[in-house]
Amino acid sequence: MTLVSRLAATCAMALLAASSALADVELRITHPISSGAGKDAFDKIVAAFEAANPGVTVKQIVFDDDIYSDTGLITQLQSNEVPDIYFQWAGYPMQRDAQAGYAGDLTAAMADGWKDTFIDSAFAPGSGTSVDGKIYLVPVSLDVTNTLWYNKSIFAENNLTPPATWDEFLAAIKVLVAAGETPIITGNNELWPLGNWASHIAARTVPAAEYDAAFRQQKTFAEAGFLKPLELMQQLAEAGAFNKDMQGLGADPAMAGFFQEAAVMHPIGSWLVGSEGDLAAPGFAYGQFDTPVIDPSLPGSKSVIGTMTGFIQHAKAAHPAEATAFLKFLTAQDQAILWSTSGAISPVKGVADKAKLPVQMKGMADMLAGADAMVSPPDTTYPVPVAEAYYQAAAYAASGERSATDALKWLDETVGAMPKP
Amino acid sequence: MAGRNTGFQPISSGATNLLFVAPAMILFGLFVLWPLGSSVYYAFTSWSGYTKPEWVGLDNFRRAIFHDPVHIASYLHVTLYILGTLVLEVSFGLVMAVVLNSDRAGFSIMRGMFFSPMVLSMTAAGVLWAFVLDYRLGLLNSVLRGVGLDDWAQPWLSQPATALIAIMFVSGWRFSGFYMVIFFAALRRIPRSIYEAATLDGATPIKQFFTITLPLLRQQMLTCVLLAVTGGFAGFDLFFTMTNGGPFDATQVPATWIIRQGFDNNQLGYATAMTVILAVVVLIVAVVYLRVTERGNHVRY
Amino acid sequence: MSATDRRSGTEWLQLTLGGAIVCAMFYPAVWMVLSAFKTNREIFKHPFALPADWKWSNFAEAWDKGGLGGMYLNSLIVTAAAVTLTVCLATAAAFAFSRLEFPGRRWLYRLLLVGLLLPPPVVAIPLFAILRDLGLLNTLTALILAGTAWSLSLTIFILQGYFNSIRPDMEEAAMLEGANIWQIFRDISVPMVWPSMLTLAIVNTISIWNELMFALLFTVDDDKRTLPVGLIRFFGRYSTDYAMVFAALTITTLPILALYFLLQRHVIAGLSATAID
Repeated sequence: MTLVSRLAATCAMALLAASSALADVELRITHPISSGAGKDAFDKIVAAFEAANPGVTVKQIVFDDDIYSDTGLITQLQSNEVPDIYFQWAGYPMQRDAQAGYAGDLTAAMADGWKDTFIDSAFAPGSGTSVDGKIYLVPVSLDVTNTLWYNKSIFAENNLTPPATWDEFLAAIKVLVAAGETPIITGNNELWPLGNWASHIAARTVPAAEYDAAFRQQKTFAEAGFLKPLELMQQLAEAGAFNKDMQGLGADPAMAGFFQEAAVMHPIGSWLVGSEGDLAAPGFAYGQFDTPVIDPSLPGSKSVIGTMTGFIQHAKAAHPAEATAFLKFLTAQDQAILWSTSGAISPVKGVADKAKLPVQMKGMADMLAGADAMVSPPDTTYPVPVAEAYYQAAAYAASGERSATDALKWLDETVGAMPKP
Repeated sequence: MAGRNTGFQPISSGATNLLFVAPAMILFGLFVLWPLGSSVYYAFTSWSGYTKPEWVGLDNFRRAIFHDPVHIASYLHVTLYILGTLVLEVSFGLVMAVVLNSDRAGFSIMRGMFFSPMVLSMTAAGVLWAFVLDYRLGLLNSVLRGVGLDDWAQPWLSQPATALIAIMFVSGWRFSGFYMVIFFAALRRIPRSIYEAATLDGATPIKQFFTITLPLLRQQMLTCVLLAVTGGFAGFDLFFTMTNGGPFDATQVPATWIIRQGFDNNQLGYATAMTVILAVVVLIVAVVYLRVTERGNHVRY
Repeated sequence: MSATDRRSGTEWLQLTLGGAIVCAMFYPAVWMVLSAFKTNREIFKHPFALPADWKWSNFAEAWDKGGLGGMYLNSLIVTAAAVTLTVCLATAAAFAFSRLEFPGRRWLYRLLLVGLLLPPPVVAIPLFAILRDLGLLNTLTALILAGTAWSLSLTIFILQGYFNSIRPDMEEAAMLEGANIWQIFRDISVPMVWPSMLTLAIVNTISIWNELMFALLFTVDDDKRTLPVGLIRFFGRYSTDYAMVFAALTITTLPILALYFLLQRHVIAGLSATAID
């Protein structure tokens, strides 16, 4: 055989090997998108990817939210068949995964122009998608973690409009109580629904540096000035603002309760929109307003609380090439638009304009644009036990179980006993 | 049937006999004893589950005993639960065994129905009762509102005061059948002649219960109490399903708190230390109990 | 309290009191099954009435959405394997503890009693690590082995007691005739304790079928879930849809309940016979 024909034969063999390597690949993706419009959108995207890549099948391993965070993900990560791609929150969780060696470094893959398809803030410092300049998380949604959803009809019946200040908010609540309605419904048996709202309120009353210091256990919560937000919670409790079974109710039943008009307002995140189809009667009129301004003199008084979520490629993925291909596919324009239409704000450039966002999502996108700061929820920014301790203190005050002062005392005692980071 | 064996009379000796116990003991060793031993090791480490364990000495134990009020409270809760069990399961089971002790038609079916909740899993029972106890839409509150007792309709599982009691009742609903069966079996063995003699002497059924039945059931009652106590410490399923330790940790028992710290908060070393403490507590309670009740075991009619 | 005398006042009291209590205890289950046939709205508005329309479709939906078929299969596999293994190993071991002498007999028996007293949560975490190292996480095998191991203590304890209550006369006679131990075990001992083995099989079936904690911690994939775990997930996901949850509950509990009522006499009799003496 001549050199040329030998070279040709080698190339042919290599090609064959490469294509057979691509054939019959099973890509394992694990995530908690288990219901609603988001699930439908993701399924469509997966089907489209499989159609475009014959020889690759995608296996989705899905859990409910809380099980995913508690045991689902960690068991997967430690099993002998790790997922190629997995869902994760930006911030502390991503950081921990990077340090533990689970997250794969995607900086090189991003460098060929993929990175530029995202909006600037997606990979800005503090965005929680990278560590020391190395990108680990591919962001897919910008979630507004908490906003106040309200029932338009009931507001209209009582001549109310979305309040702009805390005093107006309290007044509205009193009107609703007098009218025999339950002003606010929250399903707080896992502490985070109310906790996220209470954190946002805290971010609006406590200066940013103090807020950060308290959660990092560098100061006590009392020193940082957390009495004020807890007192606001107590005010709400005293006004009878919440549903009586707040602490025993789950997050989903509470959302359903809002859609069934069992209460007038519901503080929860932007993902509520995705459940509208499942839970609301057609024509249910609702809107949202951001938490009212509490202290106009504080910077960040019009902040929005939000976080990014996305996918991480496992450092030891069995099929890294296919995994990266899927992630690129997922964040390409068409798929990002499909994803966004299901009720998510996409961090991919240009999607917000092109996607037919549900009316509610548009409202939130506008809110994000008009905000003067972005706060992230404590349970994805700081160590979980500290965040949950604050959530619990807020729940004590909001349910009337303890006074604000006692709740604060409890908080500092509990956090004080925790090991320092 | 052959008579009672009065002593250990082996039919063969030798190490080859180990083959009969080997499979069982190997499995037992691998899945019970070895994890038990490892837990003693992990208890001295700090381990998030994501990274390797790091030695921290007695820190976990210090924290569990001195700095964790919920941990201490969980023992209080489980004790209250066990006491509740003794009333709602053991005593109620005993009473029902007496009430349903009859050869008449229909009683066998009634006993069967009374025992049937035992067949459900604690999970199914927990899920069912979580709905029954729902504040807005549950069966119990519907009944109360239906008869005009609106004020009595509580958010049962949302209030620290009522949550634990609710769980106790559900547990009683499910478990009393078990104790009924055990006591029923023992009741059957009491010769009728004793009761007939007492009736001739003029004793009322209630009196007979206290002077004849109870003393003769002493052995069973002691064993049932032991079962209730050791079973109570294992309590997990119901607490996890109905309240997951809430509201405000009012229904945390050692098992749920351990799982919460270990898996939810990724502090597996700390959680293991608490399991070691749990094991020690249970063993001490059981040994003390057995010593104290050792005397006066055999009953003669 | 005999079966042949006329009903006395006491017996009427027994009937009415007993009847009332039993009905009250049984009612929640009845309510659950009836509600499974209703729509959500109907459950809120008319909680006590019979369903206006018997919506059999609820069951099909629950079966589908919950993937109950797969879970049934998993529970069946785990339970059948674990119970068989438990009863076989336990009988052999109980036979040995009762009838045979061998080095370490006392100590091994005491170790076994430890399993009787300790609650499973105590080993959940290290067991998790061990299973992970053995590569058994997220497998049904893990549940089978763990379920068996934890059932051994009680089963051996009871069987051993049963053995002890029977004199070894027949076995000794067989020994004298030259039979080896295995033959004695197989042909004499096992048939002797067969009723007790059966009862323990039923008891273990109930407890392993309903086991939650290990299944929750050690399996993760949807297709490996057993019924109790699936039920919790279902409850979490459809916590707003009472009708669906009740349909799922009915599907998962009715078969076992039906089986129980068929075998009821044997279960209770068996439990009573081998009960604590």
